[in-house]
Amino acid sequence: MIDTLCDQAKGKDIAVVGLYCDFLAQQEQTTTGMLGAILKQLAVGGGISEYIRQAFQEAKKEFGGRSLRLPELVEIMKKAVAPLPRVFICIDALDESTPKHRRAFLESLREIVRASVNTRIFFTGRPHVGDEIMKCFGRVIRIPVSPTRGDIRSYLEMRLGSDTDPDVMDDELRADIMRVIPEKVSEV
Amino acid sequence: MSSEHQQAIGNVNSFNAFTNYNIVNFNAEIDAEGRQILQWLSPLEPQQRHQGVQTNRLDGIGNWVLGTNEFRKWSVEEDGCVEPVLFCDGNPGVGKTYLRYEDC
Repeated sequence: MIDTLCDQAKGKDIAVVGLYCDFLAQQEQTTTGMLGAILKQLAVGGGISEYIRQAFQEAKKEFGGRSLRLPELVEIMKKAVAPLPRVFICIDALDESTPKHRRAFLESLREIVRASVNTRIFFTGRPHVGDEIMKCFGRVIRIPVSPTRGDIRSYLEMRLGSDTDPDVMDDELRADIMRVIPEKVSEV
Repeated sequence: MSSEHQQAIGNVNSFNAFTNYNIVNFNAEIDAEGRQILQWLSPLEPQQRHQGVQTNRLDGIGNWVLGTNEFRKWSVEEDGCVEPVLFCDGNPGVGKTYLRYEDC
């Protein structure tokens, strides 16, 4: 998805940024950590703006050098997306983020989208987080994903092609695998 | 600003945070304070995971999603004409992470 959008964006002032949520990294995936990761990519792509440097200098003066607070971060992000004709923010596996941080994360994204009509957000996740997204954003375009038989066949061919023990495979077994698994998976 | 620096900025003008993210250029373009700032913004490094996804992806899988009218409209339509949020939902392991559309 990200690469597809990036291909479309080539040569235009379009930002494509993204984030993979992960059960294993929940400790770092706080609301500010997740939003900060998005801002970081905008900063790498477009250069670190003066207002980001200023916020950093201000924070450094305080004891221990505090991290960005959420309202401040959201304001900075609004400024960062404002000059861009189009920004795509892609969030993968939203359901793997902690519920504790998810709500504030979604609300912050909503605030950014409302402030800038040029920003689009793409989420993937298990169906249950759909309700949370709908509740937060109101209207949402929804596409349910399930693999097609063609997808499953391509995947099986790839896996059979990289079999580390090809001697135990024969034509009959291969044909059975290619027939039965796509049927069974499609029924799920 | 040196002309070399301006050139470097020109190169990342497409704003392609993942594909332009190149650790060599990254160090050359961003000064020491810049690197501190990026670390301060967030400890997360999503581009690392993205490289893993690119490596493991099987071409062609999930193309149908990105060929749908919903996706096309959402990605190219002018501002304000379309809902800004797109959600692809599916059960674990169906391949949501690996969606890719190739223009044919």
